[in-house]
Amino acid sequence: MENLKILLVDDEEEFVTTLAERLELRGLQARAALNGEDALHMIEADTPQIVILDVMMPGLGGLEVLKRIKARHSQIPVILLTGRGSTKEGIKGMQLGAFDYLMKPLDIEELIKKMQEAIKSQP
Amino acid sequence: MNKCTEKEVAFFGKITAGITHEMKNVLAIIRESSGLMEDIISISPEAIIKHQEKIKNSMVRIKDQIERGVGLTDRLNKFAHSTDETLSKIDLQDAIEQLVTLAQRFARLKHVVLKTMTPDHEGPPVTLVTRHVQLQMALFASLECCFTVLSAGGEINIGILKLEGKNAVHVVCKGDLPGLSEFTRNISESKNWQALQEIAACLEGSAHLDEAAHGIVLSFPDEITR
Repeated sequence: MENLKILLVDDEEEFVTTLAERLELRGLQARAALNGEDALHMIEADTPQIVILDVMMPGLGGLEVLKRIKARHSQIPVILLTGRGSTKEGIKGMQLGAFDYLMKPLDIEELIKKMQEAIKSQP
Repeated sequence: MNKCTEKEVAFFGKITAGITHEMKNVLAIIRESSGLMEDIISISPEAIIKHQEKIKNSMVRIKDQIERGVGLTDRLNKFAHSTDETLSKIDLQDAIEQLVTLAQRFARLKHVVLKTMTPDHEGPPVTLVTRHVQLQMALFASLECCFTVLSAGGEINIGILKLEGKNAVHVVCKGDLPGLSEFTRNISESKNWQALQEIAACLEGSAHLDEAAHGIVLSFPDEITR
């Protein structure tokens, strides 16, 4: 897990930058994108090993971003973040190829555990 | 009970879901900020000095998010109280301003800016005796009509307009808009327009397109009769 390259995608800037700082304190390399378009550019420029992606974003929504990531980089595991009380969007995301989903507010230890599982599941 | 009463529940759900979703983001930021401080403190006493700036920033973020959360809770509470009475005397400008704050998240998701216009005339506040929730439904439906035709970067202005001596609500869609005939067709053939017509009728009012301004005019009686 040390030095794992993570891309965090969420339009809530303060959430995503703070989460990136916490992951960096744990020795991980976390970058943040504030929208789907930027995330896709960042993936092309420097492919991360895992993507943490918010479902509900202005412009290109999380599920559309997921589809585009999977079309070009099917090997990158994607964990979705959802703020909704229902699991509907998370399940839809998993049908589209997401590794799993987590609800906001997030438990960082749960996120790390989920990322470990996702990396281990890689062929 | 009129047919719009049945739709009030769905409207309540939609607005409440939007606000509570935003509340979750507030809580997520507070959790990460307090978590970051906890992480730093648990490293070593030296780390506290080294990461002083991060600790300070986290404290500011928490303070800001608490303010944001208080604002959201106030809006939600005010919205919930709009059902207190079936008919009530409503300050129209207040109702517009409240609706605009409730709809901000929906506008943001569409990359559209939502603004309230100050009344174009001086005088006492414009008041209506009507069904508060349904009035908000009508205002929201008019915004949704604009969302139908606006692309990212657009703007919606909403306010009170004096029209032939009567007060009306004027909703203007601004931005990269389709041509006039397409604008009219896109709105008038949309489900949102149909919904707006129904709600306006329930309030004994009307909604029509103001093609020249790329807008919508909503008219309501001063006092509802039913």
